[in-house]
Amino acid sequence: MEERLYDLIFILRPATPEEEIDKMIATLEHTVAERGGKVEKKEKWGSRKMAYRVKRHREGYYVLMVLRSTQGDMVHELERRLKVNDAVIKYLTVRLDEDIKRQKRLQQRRERKAARRPRGGARGGGGHGHPAGGEQPAAAVQQQQ
Amino acid sequence: MADDTQKDSQSHAPHAAPEAAEPRPHEPQHAPQAAPPAEGKPPEPRPADARPHEPRPHESRPHEGRPRGEARPGESRGPREGGREGGKRGRRGFYRKKKVCRFCVDRVDFIDYKKPEQLMTFIQERGKIVPRRITGTCSRHQRWLAEAIKRARNIALMPFGGAR
Repeated sequence: MEERLYDLIFILRPATPEEEIDKMIATLEHTVAERGGKVEKKEKWGSRKMAYRVKRHREGYYVLMVLRSTQGDMVHELERRLKVNDAVIKYLTVRLDEDIKRQKRLQQRRERKAARRPRGGARGGGGHGHPAGGEQPAAAVQQQQ
Repeated sequence: MADDTQKDSQSHAPHAAPEAAEPRPHEPQHAPQAAPPAEGKPPEPRPADARPHEPRPHESRPHEGRPRGEARPGESRGPREGGREGGKRGRRGFYRKKKVCRFCVDRVDFIDYKKPEQLMTFIQERGKIVPRRITGTCSRHQRWLAEAIKRARNIALMPFGGAR
């Protein structure tokens, strides 16, 4: 399987102590390494207000991890662990590599385009038809009456 | 000669009356469309980029020849250049300010679901995604936008319903 890129976001109860959060992230990283994955980025967003209540909490501690893996079951294992953990109130895994690929492709295309046509002002507005232009036929009709 | 002018003014009157009345039925059409973005939300892309187009003469062209009642402003089937709504009544007929996809202007290749502040401008007060006929977003970007909003909803960055 080709390499895939994932976003893994999870929300912890706001009362979770900091050291426990660090411990949790460490175990997740360990799991990732075990399954032949790579942690590209890990961010602790900290406590923030959620858009709606989750398990009676209005706030949650957000953690983001960006992962890279060739093995699909890494995600399964991570999600299983998050599900089991009581401190986790919500999690989401999003596969991103296809979006990124598309983004790269579009960027390249734009660059090629820019290289081909260096600053050619193609803004030719067809300036026929004035707002007053419609007036005349109508006036002619009136005179015929 | 005097007769002529009288006749002329007479013929003016009946013609002018329906003329003035004609755009009336349109007004309720675009009024509610313009309303949702105004509901306590940051300004829509429309007013900012629409203004410079106002004096462009050819904007009015596609609409002025249209018989009344043929195409309603909400779902105009006329040429695309006339934008979709935010109608502005000219002296005669109807023309619309052209709306441009905000993402195309900014050359956006990827809409990030992790930035709810940016996405918030594209949902209504009760959490609905604003249709593109109102925001002017192009179909491709609207697709990406909808996906990003849905992802953000799943992780409680954005509301499903109204903000509680």
